[in-house]
Amino acid sequence: MRWSSRPWARSTTKGSTATRTKAFSGSKLPPLLALGGCLLATCAPAKSVAAPGAHAASTATLSAAFTPERLGGRTTLHFGFAFSAPAGQVPSPLTQIELRYPNNLGISLSGLGLATCDASTLQDLGPNGCPPDSIMGRGEAYTGIVLGTTPIRENAPIAIVRAPDQEGHVSVLFYSEGSTPVDTHIEFPGILLPANSPFGGVVSIGIPLVPTLPGAPYISVIHLHATLGPIGVTYYEHVDGVTLAYTPKGILLPKTCPSGGFPFAATFNFLDGSEARGSTAIPCPDPPKKRKKRH
Amino acid sequence: MAKRSRLRVRAGIASTLLACGAGSLLFAGGASSAVPTAASGSVLAQTGQRSLHNTASLHITARARAAGALKATDSAHLHYISASGSLLYEEGAAVGTLPGSMRVHFNVGATLSGSFTIYTRGGTITGHGSATPHGSGVYESFAGSLVVAGGSGHYAHAHGKAGLYGTFNRNNYALVVQTVGTLHY
Repeated sequence: MRWSSRPWARSTTKGSTATRTKAFSGSKLPPLLALGGCLLATCAPAKSVAAPGAHAASTATLSAAFTPERLGGRTTLHFGFAFSAPAGQVPSPLTQIELRYPNNLGISLSGLGLATCDASTLQDLGPNGCPPDSIMGRGEAYTGIVLGTTPIRENAPIAIVRAPDQEGHVSVLFYSEGSTPVDTHIEFPGILLPANSPFGGVVSIGIPLVPTLPGAPYISVIHLHATLGPIGVTYYEHVDGVTLAYTPKGILLPKTCPSGGFPFAATFNFLDGSEARGSTAIPCPDPPKKRKKRH
Repeated sequence: MAKRSRLRVRAGIASTLLACGAGSLLFAGGASSAVPTAASGSVLAQTGQRSLHNTASLHITARARAAGALKATDSAHLHYISASGSLLYEEGAAVGTLPGSMRVHFNVGATLSGSFTIYTRGGTITGHGSATPHGSGVYESFAGSLVVAGGSGHYAHAHGKAGLYGTFNRNNYALVVQTVGTLHY
């Protein structure tokens, strides 16, 4: 295989490669409920894990960053959510996220998502079964449940893939696969919708409830971090019968920075009916330093 | 808004009087060089070539209110010039009822929206439009509508609406635009 004349595909971020490689290696794990899910010896009896009060009112924080952040240049968007709950508890399970991103952010010009992956393919084969050119980003979710009085945490890699349009809207699919201690994989859709200024659009994400043990609470998301962009993504193109690898261009930043930075906002809905909001702004980069004139 | 002008309507032997009265004219598939004419007063059309000038001529000299309506079908192939964020600036050649060149500034987001200027021999036509993208892959199709808001020269008072269709190449940002509608001027 040759490499494309486009920018070379780079290896994934140091430290996270192994985890992602392992998680996306393609070995499919059976759904949680089929096997009883919990692999830890610390699992508490179902009767006690369903105790009320396991979830507490959640507060949310939203984070976002560009790498690199250079006006007029290409970038990868990093975004994250974190939910807090009193000690010994976990947030109520998420049911819906609406993430608003800034106006004039060239996501559609990023060259990401040139192919699509449908839900059944993703369900059956995972992200490795999808066309490489459908991968738009990766990330990781940190989830938890409280079994009895024992909080159990788990890391689950996430892949973001471009999906066929839904009801005329650009659509993506999020895929998350956890193995220890809860063995499960889930997928959930995100639809791109218009948004009012100062936002350029909103990604509406419906999150399914992830069961654990019969009678046990659903899995809660404690924090999530993901990227949307070319970091860790390799695409392929066919030129003269040869398959060439390349790195997608990336999200195009505007040449000017909006006053107050690039705004992001999110609304989170939880199973208990509560709602949390978070907002942040990526500060404008420092203007390039002017060279001193030599006399 | 129509302009007042001194009109002399000519038509070929085989042609018919296109229209008369206060109504507007509809030139289906005409070219930009076709001069739309209408007279609010009596209309006489001069038929035939010059050899028939004296035998079958209808002649008018009247101050008339000219209002044209052009049923236009055009397409343009636009190429990338520059971009900033989700805003693209493109230009290219337009062919069809109103041939010339076209420049567009548009935003590529959940919807496609932007403004355009068509440069024709008779003047410029400006407007704005929006469309919803469909499909995925390298080529993304879209459908929507545009509004003609003005212009210059012959189209100084242009207005109208049209359907807006096309494809967008997500690799090189090339845009193919098709418009179907009626232009009043």
